[in-house]
Amino acid sequence: MNIKILDSWLRDYLKTKATPQKIEEVLSETSVSVERLEKYKDDFIYDIEVTTNRPDLMSVTGLAREASTVLNQRGVEARFIPLKLQAEKGQKADFITIKNDPRLVNRICAVVMDVRIKDSPNFIKERLENSGIRSLNNLIDITNYVMRTLGHPSHIFDYDRLSTKLLIIREAQKGEEIRTLDNKEHMLQGGEIVAVNDKNTIVDLLGIMGLENSVVNGNTKRILFFIDNNEKNHIRKASMSLGIRTEAAVLNEKGLDSELSYEALLYGIKLYKEFAQGTVLSEIIDIYPNKLKEKTVTVSQEKINKIIGVEIPAKKSSEILKGLGFENIVENNILKVNVPSFRSGDIEVGEDIAEEVARIYGYGNIPQLLPPLPNNFGPKSYINEFYWEKRARKAMKYWGFTECYTYSMVPGDLLEGPEEGAVEIENPLSEEFVFMRRTLVPSLLKVASENKKRQEIKIFELSKVYLKKENRLPEEKLMLAGIIKKQNASFYEIKGIVEQLIKDFGISDLNFKESERGGLGSSLYIGKEYLGEIEVLNTDLVDFEIDFTIILKYANLKKTYKPISKYPPVVEDISLVAGNEVKTENIINEIKAQSVLVADVYLFDQFENSRSFRITYLNPEKNLSSNEVSSVRKKILTSLREKFKATIK
Amino acid sequence: MEEELISIKNTALSFILEAEDLKNLEEIKLQFLGKSGKLTLLIKEITKVPPEKRKEVGMLANEVKDAIEDAIKLRQENLKHKTKTVLRQKIDVTNPGILPPLGHEHLVTQAIEEISGIFEKIGFTRVTYPEVEWDWFAFEALNFPQGHPARDDWETFFIKGEKDPQKGAMLLTPHTSSGQIREMQKALITENKGEEVSIRMLNVAKCYRRQSDISHTPMFHQFETLVIDKNISISHLKGVLDYFAKSYFGQNRKTRIRPYHFQFTEPSFEVDVTCGVCNGKGCKLCKEGWLEMGGAGMVHPNVLKMSGIDPEKYRGFASGWGVERVLMMREGLEIDDLRLLYSNNLDFLEQF
Repeated sequence: MNIKILDSWLRDYLKTKATPQKIEEVLSETSVSVERLEKYKDDFIYDIEVTTNRPDLMSVTGLAREASTVLNQRGVEARFIPLKLQAEKGQKADFITIKNDPRLVNRICAVVMDVRIKDSPNFIKERLENSGIRSLNNLIDITNYVMRTLGHPSHIFDYDRLSTKLLIIREAQKGEEIRTLDNKEHMLQGGEIVAVNDKNTIVDLLGIMGLENSVVNGNTKRILFFIDNNEKNHIRKASMSLGIRTEAAVLNEKGLDSELSYEALLYGIKLYKEFAQGTVLSEIIDIYPNKLKEKTVTVSQEKINKIIGVEIPAKKSSEILKGLGFENIVENNILKVNVPSFRSGDIEVGEDIAEEVARIYGYGNIPQLLPPLPNNFGPKSYINEFYWEKRARKAMKYWGFTECYTYSMVPGDLLEGPEEGAVEIENPLSEEFVFMRRTLVPSLLKVASENKKRQEIKIFELSKVYLKKENRLPEEKLMLAGIIKKQNASFYEIKGIVEQLIKDFGISDLNFKESERGGLGSSLYIGKEYLGEIEVLNTDLVDFEIDFTIILKYANLKKTYKPISKYPPVVEDISLVAGNEVKTENIINEIKAQSVLVADVYLFDQFENSRSFRITYLNPEKNLSSNEVSSVRKKILTSLREKFKATIK
Repeated sequence: MEEELISIKNTALSFILEAEDLKNLEEIKLQFLGKSGKLTLLIKEITKVPPEKRKEVGMLANEVKDAIEDAIKLRQENLKHKTKTVLRQKIDVTNPGILPPLGHEHLVTQAIEEISGIFEKIGFTRVTYPEVEWDWFAFEALNFPQGHPARDDWETFFIKGEKDPQKGAMLLTPHTSSGQIREMQKALITENKGEEVSIRMLNVAKCYRRQSDISHTPMFHQFETLVIDKNISISHLKGVLDYFAKSYFGQNRKTRIRPYHFQFTEPSFEVDVTCGVCNGKGCKLCKEGWLEMGGAGMVHPNVLKMSGIDPEKYRGFASGWGVERVLMMREGLEIDDLRLLYSNNLDFLEQF
């Protein structure tokens, strides 16, 4: 969350000679980031990002208090001037009774005042407008001015429009309807904190926004000035589900210092008196069921120093903490630290105290060291899954494929298979992202169709798929998929990619079977283990998807050396015609089976129904004689004729 | 005989000199020195020479043979050189080469590879943990209180199905930090074997958050470091992150840490690196000379406890940064809509 404030406003509470630039620098390095420092007339505007644990800094006084400490610690003289407020007695008059629910609101401070509506004085207008808040009239502006000054939201009702002497705080029920002051209707979800009048009509959506039926207007004469310190989780839930993100809601959902509520009331009364001719009509109401408990954190200086990595004396820590509003005592190098109310939501343990000391000591003053190698750092294998992933990606790249990253979440039509068996997102962002995918190919096909202009597409992805398991986390499996889209895309081109990849990974036992999925293509196996599929979708589109976890199981860099033969091989070709049902693999196996002298056989040409095989004969022990070769050849030809009814050409 | 030898030599030499190309020269070589070449045949007749002259003729024959061979060699060299000249005239070096196929790795892959390499050099080990995870690992053990905004339906994707009584709802990891808990639990197993906990983790993974606009994609990548050991302090956090920034962005860069707030670290920091455009002087692209790299902090004692590690014995730090973010920062790629990274528009992917 961000806050914008004028430098001159800050200096109402901060006495220092530091320039705005110096304040910017010191705050950024030790506390909260000043994202921008902008010149405005002869003034400056700070735009500050405040972290969610420091709602106390979402105010001019909070920032002044913080800045005074950090400036002093950096050797720049600075003094915090707290807001001086006078106690208010109130009147003994029966205007309003409030029934609180302590589970919903920690503290309520309220008063009824007689006021006169008009424009705000210029300085209030200017300060609010430069803070990103639109100036409306003095009555509304004062609530915002109080919020900016102290960091606690406040609200005003038109007392006469409320027309009730009883306000009851309760949780809303599902289905109740309200009209907020911006004239929008909302259906409540149930659980919002609301105030109802004596007729059970909702008159306020606490901590978030006022309602149209009770908001001040041009005729307002009497107001109920109302400070509510709310239970933060109720506010967050209501604000998010209703989509009302007012500054009040953003602050209230962080959990605010309830000690501030009363101060906010007094400051508001003072401003109404001053700028709205206000007079107090009622008693001062202060319902405070959830009083903050005192909090103490004990931590040793030794621990602080170990966390920071620098030797800081306990005296120095104590001094830093005091400056930040943490009263403390030091005994035997142990600090006993009282947590001030405005930090009670944030400080719990010794580490929190160490942070306070460290940031003021200066993060820039801490040296930079590399940690030692871990004590279990040994000759770990360099060849891990990431090595193979990298190698696969590089191979695909150098074979002309472009890598895609598609979303893990897919719409139902990219799922393949029944939706019930898929991991489904309960709160998807859109219909595009509903299921966790079980296969990569549909996403790649979508990419291909989205790149319509391309004549030729070669893409791949190496990503996880998510397989549902009952009562367990899904199985996350790494898959490698790719597609080739072009005129007359070939099954063999994809097959070749897979074969070379598997070969490069040191795996030998890759088998191709007729597709078991019914489509045109092949089912792939390493040994007997299923690896994946090649699919021929149409004449222009072939894809593959293989289980990379199986590849990881077998991939290796094992080297084997076979002595290079001293004797020359004899190479010859055989062409034959056999029926289509006779698979090339069978022919090759048959030829190899005829003699140990057959060192290698492969299909080197194919035309219509004729297939040509190149056979390499080799005897590693001696020179082959032509007799030996011809007798093996004879055996081969006979067996091919008999077994496959092949005609030899 | 001698005259014949001299005559063969002269004929051969003149032929050799006139040979037009290597093929022609080879024919000439065969004509004189081949199995039935003129010189070969004549040398065979040396036996017919009277014995007293045989030695002399033999020496002459060898000289002739050497002379022809030398001439052939010389001519060969000359002819080769001539071929090159011809080739040179045929090559236009500005014509396109015959290109081997070349695809492209995704920008995110390229970044992850480099980031991993940088951390592995100083003893970090890369790991992977579930992307679909239990609430307990993603929030509860990371010290997120119930009702924390990150646990809302508005920020995190939840998975349909029954909650686990201990581990809560199933969700898509909104950060890589859930890996911290997994890593510490894993390390405890070795501690139970008597080894000390000593973690240098790098977890790079896909993360998911419910937002999609020009600067957010519902799926993105983070890289998480986790260091747990005895005597780890803020100074080590500064050292490692500065080492990374210098390695990834350049040696002349500087880093700083600023106070920040995260649930699972205490103290927490925002880490900045000096702007590469203005070298830290301050410009339009940075905040007063600095660019935000991401968050980091000392592991919160509650997180150590939840993971089963004794916070009095061990301490550590963690950081979790966006891969896309550091990538954009370094390359200065002014991609106006981050969703382009995952649009898989080939016109985009093929630029890298």
